[in-house]
Parts: sequence; C-alpha cells; structure tokens
Amino acid sequence: MSSHAATADHHGHDDHHHDPGFLRKYVFSTDHKMIGIQYGLTAMVFLAFGFYLMMVMRWSIAYPHQPLPEWMAWLFSDNWKARWLADGKVTGETYNMFGAMHGTIMVFLGIVPLGFGAFGNYITPLQIGAVDMAFPRLNMASYWMYLAGGLVMCASFFMESGAAKSGWTNYSPLAGFADGQIVNQWLAGQTQWLIGLVLLISSSLLGSVNFITTIINLRARGMTWMRMPFFVWAMLVTGFLLLLAFPPLEAAGIMQLMDRVSHSSFFMPSGLYTAKEGLADLSGGGSPLLFQHLFWFLGHPEVYVLLLPAIACVAEIIPVNTRRPLWGYKSMVYGVLVLGFLSFIVWAHHMYLTGMGPVVSTFFQTTTVLISIPSVILITSMIISLWGGSIRFTPAMVWACAFLPMFGIGGLTGLPLAFNLVDLHLHDTYYVIGHFHYVVAPGILFGLFAGVYHWYPKITGRHMSGFLSHLHFWPSLVCMNLIFFPMLTQGMAGFHRRWYNGGDAYLAKAKDSVNVFGNSVAEHIDLNIIMSWAAWAMALAQIPFVINLFISWKTGRKVESDNPYHATTLEWATPTPPGHGNFLTEPAVYRGPYEYSRPDCEEDYLPQWEEPKRGADAPAEKPATPSAH
Amino acid sequence: MEIPYIVTPRKDTGLFNSKIAIWLFLASEVMLFGGFFSAYIFLRLGADYPWPERTLPVLPGLINTFVLIFSSVTVVFAWASLKMRQWGKFQIYMAITVFCSLVFMVLKGIEYNVKFHHQAVRLKDYTVVEGHLGYKVKDGVKVEHGKQPTEDQLAKDAKGRKIEENLVNFEAAEFSFSTLRHHKPWVESIMARAADQKASITLAADLELKTSPEKTVSFKAGSPLTVELLDSVKEAHLAARENNGAVRTDNLREQWEKAHAANPGKRDWEIADQVAVDTAAIAGQLMPEQPSVIFKVEPPTVFSFKPRDVKEAAASADLRDGTNLKGKLVDSPMVFHYVDAIDFRHLVMEAERKGIDPKVAIENSWLLKESPELKKIWEKQQVALAQLTKELAAKGKEPTAKDKYRIGWQELAYYSVTKIEDVKITPGKYAMPKAKENFKEEFFGPDYKVREKVPHPDGKHFGAFPHLTVPREQVQFASKFAPAWNTYYAIYFTMTGLHGLHVVGGALVLAYYLFCGKRMYLSNPEWLANRVEVGGLFWHFVDLVWIFLFPILYLM
Repeated sequence: MSSHAATADHHGHDDHHHDPGFLRKYVFSTDHKMIGIQYGLTAMVFLAFGFYLMMVMRWSIAYPHQPLPEWMAWLFSDNWKARWLADGKVTGETYNMFGAMHGTIMVFLGIVPLGFGAFGNYITPLQIGAVDMAFPRLNMASYWMYLAGGLVMCASFFMESGAAKSGWTNYSPLAGFADGQIVNQWLAGQTQWLIGLVLLISSSLLGSVNFITTIINLRARGMTWMRMPFFVWAMLVTGFLLLLAFPPLEAAGIMQLMDRVSHSSFFMPSGLYTAKEGLADLSGGGSPLLFQHLFWFLGHPEVYVLLLPAIACVAEIIPVNTRRPLWGYKSMVYGVLVLGFLSFIVWAHHMYLTGMGPVVSTFFQTTTVLISIPSVILITSMIISLWGGSIRFTPAMVWACAFLPMFGIGGLTGLPLAFNLVDLHLHDTYYVIGHFHYVVAPGILFGLFAGVYHWYPKITGRHMSGFLSHLHFWPSLVCMNLIFFPMLTQGMAGFHRRWYNGGDAYLAKAKDSVNVFGNSVAEHIDLNIIMSWAAWAMALAQIPFVINLFISWKTGRKVESDNPYHATTLEWATPTPPGHGNFLTEPAVYRGPYEYSRPDCEEDYLPQWEEPKRGADAPAEKPATPSAH
Repeated sequence: MEIPYIVTPRKDTGLFNSKIAIWLFLASEVMLFGGFFSAYIFLRLGADYPWPERTLPVLPGLINTFVLIFSSVTVVFAWASLKMRQWGKFQIYMAITVFCSLVFMVLKGIEYNVKFHHQAVRLKDYTVVEGHLGYKVKDGVKVEHGKQPTEDQLAKDAKGRKIEENLVNFEAAEFSFSTLRHHKPWVESIMARAADQKASITLAADLELKTSPEKTVSFKAGSPLTVELLDSVKEAHLAARENNGAVRTDNLREQWEKAHAANPGKRDWEIADQVAVDTAAIAGQLMPEQPSVIFKVEPPTVFSFKPRDVKEAAASADLRDGTNLKGKLVDSPMVFHYVDAIDFRHLVMEAERKGIDPKVAIENSWLLKESPELKKIWEKQQVALAQLTKELAAKGKEPTAKDKYRIGWQELAYYSVTKIEDVKITPGKYAMPKAKENFKEEFFGPDYKVREKVPHPDGKHFGAFPHLTVPREQVQFASKFAPAWNTYYAIYFTMTGLHGLHVVGGALVLAYYLFCGKRMYLSNPEWLANRVEVGGLFWHFVDLVWIFLFPILYLM
C-alpha cells in the first residue's frame, strides 16, 4: 500500500471550508469532480435521447408504411403526434428532423461532454496531482453553457417549426432556407440550432483553455511531461483540437445566422431557385462550398475530439488490468501529437463530391492516408500491451478489449473512403454510416463505458455489479454488430443514407427506370428489419447499465482501499471519493505512469507517488527533478 | 484549498495561469477571425458581381485605427503604472484607454447608421441605383414635383414611424388566414388598416367546428375578423387534428393487421399500396379540421406589405405566415427621392459575360429607354469620359470602370443643367459640395440639404434629379446597404460587428479594473497588475484585428 493512501471511510475533506450547502455542492459546484459528474450524467441523458430519436428513425426505415407503435410513440403528446406523424407514420420531414438532431445530440451533446467534459474533468487534475482545475469558476460556466446550448437546441422540438432538419452538418443553402416560413426567425428550429451551437462552442472553448492551462501549470512536483499518463496527453491534444478547430465553425455559424436573420448571402449562390419560394429574394454571390470548408475544418478534428478520450480511457485500463507497462508509451505520445496536427489538414476528404477539383482532392487524399499511421500506432501499441500480460477480465477490461477490434473495424472501413475514386461510389451511402458508427458507437462508446466501470469505485467508493455489467456488455456487443455490419453491405449495394423509408420508394420507382445498382436494393432491403430490431434490443441492453449505475451507488460492494486495482497513477492516491482539494498531502511524482511488474520490486506495481526506498537494495530510480521539463 | 500560480509564475513554465489562458484564448480568437478572413478571400475571389472597392469612408476608419493604436499604448502605461504601484497614473491611463474605445464605437455607430438608411436597388437588367427612398404621404395628399413633403403630410405606421415608399400594394377582396401559422402582429395591422379605410373584414362562410367529439362551436358568416376568432378556430382545429390523428392511426394499425393476415409472407412494401385508412368506417369519429379561414373584405381595400414578407402575383398574394390574399396587385413602385448614383458596372459585367458590347447594353437598359432625361445625361457622360480618357492617356493611364460606368449625384446634377457642348471634365463648381461639406459627408453620409441647393433643370426648382420611380416588376433585388445587399457588405458588417463586440467586451473588462480595482489594488496589487496585463494582451489583439480589417475593407 502506498504511504499516502487513506482508507475509504476517511472521505477526504477539507478542514478549511465549511459545508458549502446543497446548491453550491451539487448544482453550482466549482469542484472539477462534481462538474465532471454533472457533465457525465447530463451527457448520458442526451445520449439516451439521441438513441431514442434513432429508434424512431429505424422504425421508419424498417416499416415505413406502418404507424409508429405505441411502445415507441408514448413519449409524444397527442398534439405532437398529430403535427409530426401522418396517420401515425413517420413523415420524411420528421425523419429529417430526428436525423439531424440525432447526429447533433450524439456528437455535440453526448459523446464530447462525456469523454472530454466528464472523464477529462474528473480524471485529469487527479492524474497530474492538481488540487482542481486552474479556473474552477470558468469550469462551472463551461458546464452551464453546454447545458444551455443543449436545452436551446432540444427546446425547438416543441416549436411550430420543429427542430433543425438539415442534417447535423447543416449545409447551406438548405439550412439557410429551412424554416423560412417562420416570421420570427429567432423562434425557428434551424436558428435555435445555430444559437445552441454558438453556446456549445463557447462552452468547449472555456473548457479547452482550462484543461490546457491546468495541464501546463498545475502538474505536481516531479510530474514531468514524459511522466504524464497517456490519458493526460490525450486530453491535452483534445484540448488543442477544441481550441483551434471549433472557432472556424463558430465563424460559419455566425455567418449562417446572418444569412437567416439579416438575409445576407454568405452561403447563398446567385440565381437560387426553390420550388417553394421561386427565385430567392437574395443578393446571391455567396458560396455554399465555403460553409462546407468551415464546417469540416471543425468536423474532422471533432472526430478525434470524440475518439481521444475513449482511447485515453482504454490506454489507462489496459496496463492496470494486464499488469504490464503500456507498450510504446513514447510512440503513443508522439503518435497522438502527430494525429492532432494531421487532423487539421484532412477535412476536405468529406467533400470529394463537391467538385473542388482533383488537385485539392489529391492533397487531402494523401493527408488522409497519412493520418492512419498515428492512429494505427495507437491501436497497435494497445494491442501489443495485451501480449504476455496477466489479464484480469474486470468489467472495464472487457469493454476495453472489445473497443480494440470494434474501433479497428471502424478505422479500417474508413480507408477505402479516403480514396476519392472509391468515395465516388460510397459517398452518402450506408457504408459511410456504418463506417463512422463503428468508430463512434461500438468504438468510442465502448471505451467510455470501460471508463465508467473503471473509475466508478474512485468516484463513489463502490464497485459496479459484475453480473449486470456482463448483462450489459454481451448483448450490446452483439446488437452493435447486428446494427452496423449490415450497413456496410447495404452501403456497397447502393443504399442512400438519407432514404427515410429505407429504400421502399426507390424500389417502387426502380421498375420505371434504369436501376444502376441492378437488383441490389431489393436483395438487401430485408436487412433493414434485422438492423432495426437489433437497435431496439440494444435499448433493452442498456437497462442493466442504468440499474447498475444507480443501484451500485448505494448498494455496490465497497472498495477496501483507495487503490483497489493496485494501479500506479495519481488518481488512486486520493481518498475515496476524493474530497475538495483532492489530495490529503501535496503529491510528488517519482517515476513514469506505468511501472507494473518491475522485476526489482516485490509487488507487481510501483505507484508514481511512492517515495523511492533509501539503501543499497533500493531499486534504481531516476532522481525526481523538482520542476517539470 | 488554494490554486497555485494565480499571482506568481510557476518556475519551470515562467507563466502564471491566466497568462497561459489568455494566450490560448487569443489563439482560438485567431482561428475565429481566421475563419472570417478566409471567408473574405473566398467570397471576394468567387464574387460574380463587381466587388465594391474603397466604398467606405476612409477618414473615419483611419482615425479609428489611430485611436485604437493609441489606446493600446495607454493600456501598457496603465499596466506599468500598476507595476510601479502608482494608482493615480493607472487611473488616468486606463481612463484614456476606455475613452478611446468609446470614440471608436461612436465613429463605428455613425458609419453603420448611415448605411442602414441608404437604399440600393438592382434592376432586372443589373443596373444599380443608389439613393434615398421617399416616404409615403397620407392618402389624398399631393406633393408638388421637386418639393419634399412636410412632416405632417407623411403617413405613419402603427408604431408612429415614417413608411418608405417601397411596399407591395395589393387590393384585397379576400383573406385566407392559416389557422396555425398566422402571425398575430400582421393580423392586427391588417385589422388596423381596414378600420382606417372603413372597410370590413368578415367571415366568408359559416363554420361548424368541434373542440371535442361532443362539443360544437360555430362561427357565423359575417362575424368580423378578430384575433380571438382566429384563436378559437385554432383551438378547434388543434383538437380535431389531435383526435383525427389518433383515430386514423388506430385504424391504419387495424388495416395493417388485416393486410398481414391476408398476405402471409409478403413484405410491407409489396402490399403497401393496398393498405390505407378506411375513412368511411371512421367517418363518425372524425372531427372537422379547418387549416385555413377565409374572410371577405368589403369594399376591396389596398393593403401594403414589405416586399420580403410577400410573394405577389397579379390576382393573388401569399404572405410568409401562410396568409393568402385574393384581389388584384396595384402599382407598387420604389420611389427614390434622391438618387446618389446610377451604376452600370454590374450590368457591364453581365453583358461581357454574355458577349454583348457594354455600350449597347447600357443604351438598351430600362433606365435609359424609360427616361429621355437620363439618356441625355448618359450622352454627356460619354463626352466627359472621352475628355478624361484623352487626359489620362497623356499620362499613360486608363479610366477605371468606376469612371466609365458610374454616375455619381454630382455628375447627375452637373449634366442635368449643362448643355452637351459645355461639358467639361471639371464639373461646374456649384454642383460640388464645398470641401467642408465633403468632409462632413465622410462621417455622416449624404447630406441632402446640399443636394437641394443644386438647381433643377426646369430652372424653377432646386434639387437636381430628385425623383426616380422604379416599378416593382423592374426590381430584381433591393436592400439597404446592409448585410443583405451583397457579400461584401455581409462580411464587412459581420467582421466589424464582431470586432466591435470585442472592443465593447474588452472595454468593459478594463473599465471594471478602473472603477472596481481599488480594493484589489490595496489587498493584492500584483494580482491586479496580472489581470490588467491579461486584459491588455486582449486589447492588443483587438487592435491587431482592426489593423487587418482596415486595409481589407476600407482600402483594397
């Protein structure tokens, strides 16, 4: 046991402060741990909501002619159903709305806040031995802005216009025109989406400034750069991605807002004609392509903002549960830095079909292929880390192990899309949907679930139930693959990602015209039903998790020590759960983050904070420099 | 618990926390403005209209540049004073800084305001006319040609504001309001206009609606239009929609059950066209829906709408809130009381794109065909241009597109009172505003008092070329010099507006240190100095952004 460890019932507290009261402690808290928990719970609620939207969409795909069944429709009021469903069937408009909001919610309100906001907030200061974030009040403001942005976006579901319907990418001129019939543009869903987005961007801006400052300036004594756990490195890079990639989207958002409320033409070309409005009453002269550039300048780094926290969790869980150092720690650190840099110069691979020209396409094709190198370094290092380890299949480790192949499929299916010739065929098909959902859902989400199971004992002082965890894991794994693997097949068969009726309308018309895909749509359309049922079963598979999350908080097995996994990083040196101010004494760091199974040590782990033994038989240690660098 | 390195820098990084934070924040600001600067380049390179060059008043912009640079210096002095613990000096320097931001914003505000009152219109043939719209006079009032109406001759809207003569006038005999989407303020202004014209708007036919399967509400034909009436129809319609939706959904479910039983093994899409709601079977359960309500106007009355709110045709018009009008479109011209410029550059650009000789295109333009007066002006302009070309050729230069195709108000005035044989390229001095007025116009925009002193060609009045009436069907696109006018003004307003917000935000923070910093100064002066340093860094950034904005928007 470490010399600094306190037992669980010590409950680290701060002698200098009185109890701050319920509101200050749980609602308007400035403690990074409480804010992390707030982020986590809010993000999970949004994830559940985004999941529900998808369930409705999947009904429309599998059974476009049948009314939405009661077991899904009960969430809507009768008035809402009458407005948005046609004889109970999901309309194209409603499908578009749900599709746009599913994407937005999952990316901006679900995964980023869960990975970066929740885990980043809770773990980062602990792992670097800091008392809190550098700017606790900014941290709180960041959470509240995120919540406000999310609520503004979701409130628009109840407006006359409905929520945004132009895809999560919000491309102009479609998004510039949408909801144009609403006289007060400030009360249109499409405008609310932009306002929400500006709030979310401001939130993540505050967050990223805070994270980076904390990591640079608040590291504990002896916590040099190369002694930082990989998790912290990943957070640092994520912080920089958010800091630098989001502002151009904010610029695009502001310009689109101008297009909507002051009728400017930033993204509106000359001579724009719509069936609804005829020739647009606009000056024209703008560029729709500009919006796509600005959007994807964020959009691609955003993928890594989603991914890195999940990889970070997995990279922490693997060494603990294999009792081996993380293989290739340094190459992973340099890999993640290169990845961060390259992610800024690959964005236009989302735009091969826009006619931006072969020279530009070639450039982005090259950088896109290049970026797979650091990604592969990360994944390979983690896989090799398993080699020869004495693996403990804890709940967290099971999820982490599943992350590796699932993310692997996601990554590898992306390679064909990087080549613009192949992309011509696959663009906007279900193949693309399958590809990025493999990255995000069974990939990133599994990594984050692993994180929840792993750090839950530190956060609550109790373990989650192993049985419920397996009941959560195995059905989820099966369902995930049943949902997303058929998408890859369907995509290659030519299924378009925006068919709201899953291809029925296409089949109905296919008789009258030349079908470029032959009969491939008819052959693969039944997969829709399998995928949809898998999706709904997936919802059931999450119930054990929700039960586990809340029941274990009160009734779970108590942790026996502050370091139940015998881990080496600093978050396990704190009391359980850590009190305000985190550490009982100022921590000092003497060695790297993953000193497991050292042959010169009695135990199979040597924590970062354990003071080197004096004397002749002491293991050789590098002297801890008093300052970083 | 205390967070370290708030006041003193950490040894190995050499920085205190907020200094790292501000540099990171500024990095993100660079990316934000970088997005806008990229957009500027993108829009300018891709512009399919003549990009306005040097159209903004340079002098106020230049003054603003120096004001900001100066304030960037004083903010450093303020910080240095704090470091030397001289509170008095800090106050003085900080006050100057905040005052500079105020000057900047006032100049900016004036610049904006001028634009928001300056009208432009692009005609169907791409001729651009700039100027000032006249105000609508009250019904029945006649204003003598060449004279401006007095204040009490002008019509006012519901909020007491003058109404510019740029409205779509439609003589409505019938209104059909969308039950769900009608915009209340518009309905109210329609009712006010009808009351003003002593016309009645009444329900066209009896309505029998239900708010529940048992409860019936009826509305008699001839009931006058009120917001409450529309509200009750809306209530009944919503109730009906809700009820019918549920009934039809249940029925459709039954139909599908039957269809599945009758067609075992068939997929949905193979039998979908045989399955539908059995409307006859559920007719008794359905309630009447009323998506729109029709009202009659007696006698038919002219209503006016802003062009953006209405899509008009000869016998029908649609408002943006789903209201439909039946009747007839009446004359809806745009009336310019002052024309500041007639600009053919866009027309020439379009003509060249189509391979038409620019001169021919201009001579065939609607404006020149319509107005013999303008045609003469154009001929005189050609004479002057020939002289200018010769003069410039001697210096090895050529006239610019602006010289060739744009006629400013001073030239308009000059040409309209000068015989063609007297035209010289230094126009008559009476037509030119004096240098002092020119200077004033830089700041406050066109001064129409000066224009009114210029004699009219008829010799009896003042105000050269006062009126230009553009019929609605000639208008391709009209706007104030606002973000809507073109992408140049869009990016100009967005970038300078965002920069202005930064100025205001920065000034508020600095003013906070100025007015509320004393206590902090007494307890922990070094901390206050750190904060001022961080605020000052932001202020430098704001200044730097302007140094980029000024040339790309004002000079290039």
